Amino acid sequence: MIKLTGITKSFGRNQVLKGIDLHVNKGEVVVILGPSGSGKTTLLRCINYLERPSDGQIVIGDSIVDCKRAGKQDILQLRRKSAMVFQQYNLFKHKTALENVMEGLVIVQKRPKEEARERSVQVLEKVGLGSKLDAYPSELSGGQQQRVGIARALALEPEVILFDEPTSALDPELVGEVLEVIRKIAKEGITMIVVTHEMGFARDVSNHVVFMDGGVIVEEGTPQEIFSSPKEERTKQFLKRITPEWSYTI
Amino acid sequence: MGKEFEITYVFTLFIKLLSALGTTMFIVVASILLGVIVGFLIALPRLYNIPVLRPFSQVFVSFFRGTPVLIQLFLIYYGLPEVLKLLSLDVSRAPVLMFVIFTYALHSGAFISEAIRAAVTAVDRGQVEAAYAVGMNSYQAFSRIVLPQALAVSIPVLANIVIANLKDTSLAFSLGVIELTGKAQTLVTATQHFIETYIALAGIYLLISIGLEKAFNKMERRLLSHERSAVQKAEERASYSLLSSYKGFVTRLKLGKGGSGL
Ligand SMILES: Nc1ncnc2c1ncn2[C@@H]1O[C@H](COP(=O)(O)OP(=O)(O)OP(=O)(O)O)[C@@H](O)[C@H]1O
Ligand SMILES: [Mg+2]
Repeated sequence: MIKLTGITKSFGRNQVLKGIDLHVNKGEVVVILGPSGSGKTTLLRCINYLERPSDGQIVIGDSIVDCKRAGKQDILQLRRKSAMVFQQYNLFKHKTALENVMEGLVIVQKRPKEEARERSVQVLEKVGLGSKLDAYPSELSGGQQQRVGIARALALEPEVILFDEPTSALDPELVGEVLEVIRKIAKEGITMIVVTHEMGFARDVSNHVVFMDGGVIVEEGTPQEIFSSPKEERTKQFLKRITPEWSYTI
Repeated sequence: MGKEFEITYVFTLFIKLLSALGTTMFIVVASILLGVIVGFLIALPRLYNIPVLRPFSQVFVSFFRGTPVLIQLFLIYYGLPEVLKLLSLDVSRAPVLMFVIFTYALHSGAFISEAIRAAVTAVDRGQVEAAYAVGMNSYQAFSRIVLPQALAVSIPVLANIVIANLKDTSLAFSLGVIELTGKAQTLVTATQHFIETYIALAGIYLLISIGLEKAFNKMERRLLSHERSAVQKAEERASYSLLSSYKGFVTRLKLGKGGSGL
């Protein structure tokens, strides 16, 4: 379970998050939508402390962090409860696919090497890269790299996986294979928070949709509620702008 | 001045010079090892923007990059004991070699710190964030993710620094250290075979440089094995290296020999 209470974040004078409350149940897939600059990336980065929130409280599982008082150990504990899939993949370039996945298991979770290897191979097979274990990131396509990124997150068995636009750096023909993998792991009951512009994906896979604008959550609800009968004017306008695109790209 | 040129002397002098090779290599190895430590200490305040130490690092680098190493040698050899005397430490009996190594360590350290700084900034921030996101602490992220890649990037620069250091050790003779150049001076005085001595001396420096270059190229290829394009570049560099140009030079010399009766 993840619970955010009153998260704010300012860059200098610019307040980017203006008090975010969010509750995510175990096994839920939450999609965050919103126009560019609305603070979606910043919110995800606050959840695992890649950005330090200005104020608020973050609860992941049994880790409770008060942002005003968080110490190094609190942050480390919090980070170990979550994993992140980045827009730019951010794989470790000097390590093979297998090593990328093993790294966290061995170095952070201190699992024995053999066990870590077995687990990593298994996860890489799940994302369809069983034949690319020894490939370096420079030898993989964007879609394959992102699937390694997903495997790296998944192997850690975190309470939640955070996805920040996992397909928006990909060539259009590679988007499908990555979405397919995310869909598959969503079905396994992994808790996920996904920032995406893929409306079809949001509609099919998520249990809960959050619409953000200007650093606040404007509206949230089931995909049915948000896509079919949005209440807020800003949500309606956003969906109107974005809907024609996906209706014919799918 | 001097005796008539005799090619055979080059070889005998070459052998005689080798007795000082150990001292030269000792200066190089010791000062580079210390220099790496100095380099890290000097690079960190600038990498992590540590308030008071940062300007100190900058001044240090400016001084050791911006003044001739010969003057640094004199300043440290004559100046350091005076400074330490104020702290009631007597180093007047310390071996000259210690001052020499100390100077070269600081000198190389300044350059190494710049190489480290450039290399660390070359590793993209995203990978560090990914390391944090899998739960690493900053030490793990640095040693597991940043350092190995930074090292690979900085190998060519490090190679230059080590070779420059090797050549700079020739100035240590001015403090009376009998390293290669110092030994050459004594041989010149003893034999009066100026040119032969310096040819032999140049040959030794060249051979060591070529050896170092090969070693660094090998290391670079190993460390960069994850980047195909970069490996290719390193291989190209290796094949156009001093060694091959030296080989080319030798073949040309041999040809020349046949032709012009050199
Ligand atoms: N490191 C930073 N320093 C200063 N301002 C920042 C920083 N990161 C983000 N911002 C600002 O915060 C605001 C929200 O950015 P954020 O990246 O969270 O938006 P987003 O919703 O993810 O947008 P997009 O859909 O374009 O990815 C923007 O106005 C941005 O300029
Ligand atoms: Mg974003």
